[in-house]
Amino acid sequence: MKSGVLKLSIIVIGLSLFFTYIGVYFLPQSESHPPKVIKIEEGITQDELLKLGEEIVFGKGECMVCHVMKTEPGMRSPAISTIGGDMEKEAKQRGITPEEHLFESLVNPSAYVGKGFDDMMPPLHESPTSLTEGELVAVAAFLQSKGGKVTAAYPESGPALKAQIQKAGGK
Amino acid sequence: MAEKSVGSSILKGLIKLSLILGLGFLALHFLKGALPAPTEDGYRAFPVLGSRVWVWIIAQLHLNFAAFVLGVPIFAVSMEFVGWKKSDERLDRIAYDFTKLFTLAYTVTAIMGSVLLVSLPLFYPKFIDHMMKILGPTWWAYIAIMYGEVIVCYYYYYSWKKMKDKKGAHVFLGLLLNVFGTVLLLATSAWVGYMTTPGGVSPDGNLINRWQAIKTYMWIPLSLHRLVANVVFGAGIAAAYAAFRFITAEKDEERAYYDWMGYTSAMISIGFSLILPGVGYLLGVEIYSFNEQMGIQLMGGFFAWLWVMQAILIGAILFFVNYYLWISLNKMPGGERYFKYVKYLFIVVLLGYVVWLTPHSVALSLGEARKMGAYHPALGNLGVMAAKNTAVVISYLATFLSYSIFRISNKEPQVSWAKAGHKTRAAIIIMSTVAVLALGVYSYMVPAAVRVKVLSPIQFGIFFISLIVLYVLDSRMYKGAKIIGEPKWGKMPERSQYALIAITVTFTWLMGMMGYMRAGGRQHWHVYGIMKDTSPGAYLPTHGAALVIVSIITIIFFLLIGLLFWSIMRLEKASEAKGKR
Repeated sequence: MKSGVLKLSIIVIGLSLFFTYIGVYFLPQSESHPPKVIKIEEGITQDELLKLGEEIVFGKGECMVCHVMKTEPGMRSPAISTIGGDMEKEAKQRGITPEEHLFESLVNPSAYVGKGFDDMMPPLHESPTSLTEGELVAVAAFLQSKGGKVTAAYPESGPALKAQIQKAGGK
Repeated sequence: MAEKSVGSSILKGLIKLSLILGLGFLALHFLKGALPAPTEDGYRAFPVLGSRVWVWIIAQLHLNFAAFVLGVPIFAVSMEFVGWKKSDERLDRIAYDFTKLFTLAYTVTAIMGSVLLVSLPLFYPKFIDHMMKILGPTWWAYIAIMYGEVIVCYYYYYSWKKMKDKKGAHVFLGLLLNVFGTVLLLATSAWVGYMTTPGGVSPDGNLINRWQAIKTYMWIPLSLHRLVANVVFGAGIAAAYAAFRFITAEKDEERAYYDWMGYTSAMISIGFSLILPGVGYLLGVEIYSFNEQMGIQLMGGFFAWLWVMQAILIGAILFFVNYYLWISLNKMPGGERYFKYVKYLFIVVLLGYVVWLTPHSVALSLGEARKMGAYHPALGNLGVMAAKNTAVVISYLATFLSYSIFRISNKEPQVSWAKAGHKTRAAIIIMSTVAVLALGVYSYMVPAAVRVKVLSPIQFGIFFISLIVLYVLDSRMYKGAKIIGEPKWGKMPERSQYALIAITVTFTWLMGMMGYMRAGGRQHWHVYGIMKDTSPGAYLPTHGAALVIVSIITIIFFLLIGLLFWSIMRLEKASEAKGKR
């Protein structure tokens, strides 16, 4: 009986230690923290806005969960590296301003879905992403900087953004 | 031990459950008054470990035991039924032994549940208030059903010998027990489903429709996944119990019985595990349907590397199973004729393992992976799902062949078409392997959606069809076959039993890790998108830290299971001594 217990213990502890060793020493180690509150104040420069926009795209906004940086076969969502230019072209085809098109895609993404992609983008002003007005403008500015002309500014772009949120049925 | 009066045993069970629950409520009431008031955002801190780690450990331990007591009755009653219909005493004995295991495990399950019942409202009062507001009635129904289950369970176990001439009614009791168990499972899955894929509430968390809050995206697929996993896990624990009894057995007769019990339990466990990828796939589809981002985050985001860990664990389980079956050939008269195939099966399983282990990317984070814009720089072609699915299917096929070889190794077919039958079997194995490989290669050329929604299910479909055809073919071909010799149950080296225990330990560890991933998918939300977790523990730890907790849970669980095994053996000895007197 005693030797049976000892053998069972060796297997349980030995295997657990072995799997833990793999988990601790072979897997990459990083923590995932809840997004921080990003303060965007009136009069923020374009450079600062772009920097914050990039931070949100790669962090709090979780955009890179679906988007890729460079175009690659089988991608789920448009590539970021050329998105500003691509969206300018789409806006022209639709007969609306690039800013309108961009804000619509952030808060009312189902209204227009790019060719070859599925309707899977969530509205970013709603839960769980819940980006604030300033954060959405920063994201828009960053996206425009990828091959397009940056027109989004804070707080100047606020009314255009709010109009799209209202159009989407939000407040 | 089962000679006690059925009525008094049920009464004792009910008193025990009421005491455990009552003590829990009393402890909660007392601790609420004794501890400082919760913080403004609704949290109390558990000393040293922190509330998150404490609740994590207790919840997983409770879940492990609950999986065991819900899973084992499914195959216990099935075996009792088959034993009754075939008048097979041995099947009846094993069904009884399974029932003994889960009946005695109820107490530990209830104690763990009670500790969780105290811990959650104590350390997360605001969150529990919200859950009660939305799903309160299901909680009271859960307690009522739990009482119903205890009554039926005790009745089922303690009436086993008394009702031996009323097998039909006794099997019905077993079925009723499973109905209660399934309803309990549905209730708990509704809670987890609501937390992960909520419905029926307004964005600020007010109840709109309770049925919608129960019937979330995740509810049924999660329940199905748990139901199958419970059988796999329960049978695994039964196999570990048999292995433990084999190792500690003093008589050949005992060793023979527990060898057979270990084999039977392990094959139930592995057989049901074949269904898990399919129900897991359904669960994944529902998570994606609820929120694509959550699905992608789970599959390819922060948790991507834990899927590699999952591959390591399942691959290890397959190796342990194959090793056990290959050793088992030694106890089969005529088994030596099949030794020559073992090395080929080993190579196939090893190659499958290597492909499955290949990481998708070497990036440390999602952002880094996206910036690199590429898969694994050297092994990219093997690291994607197209290759992994193919490797998994072929590894499972090889494992099934190990099992088939074991089944037929002591027989010689007598049918006139035996030669053609052997050729057909070889053709099925080759054709299905080639088809799975070809689909795997073709998967590289199609968009992800086609690969996931069309080609992967076809690969698994081919696998299942091959399994069924091979099983039917062997059953027909070996009907009335010449038996070279009966299996020498008990004539197994002790190391074979270590393999059985290792399967269960690995599965327990895997269950702990997958449970963490499922819960972690909510990230910093108690209820995804509805109620934020603002406690100090609202972050995902490093994989290393998370897996240390998984190991601690596994070790505590086996310590408790060891105590359970020990108490069963003590009760048996006491019962024997009483019988002698």
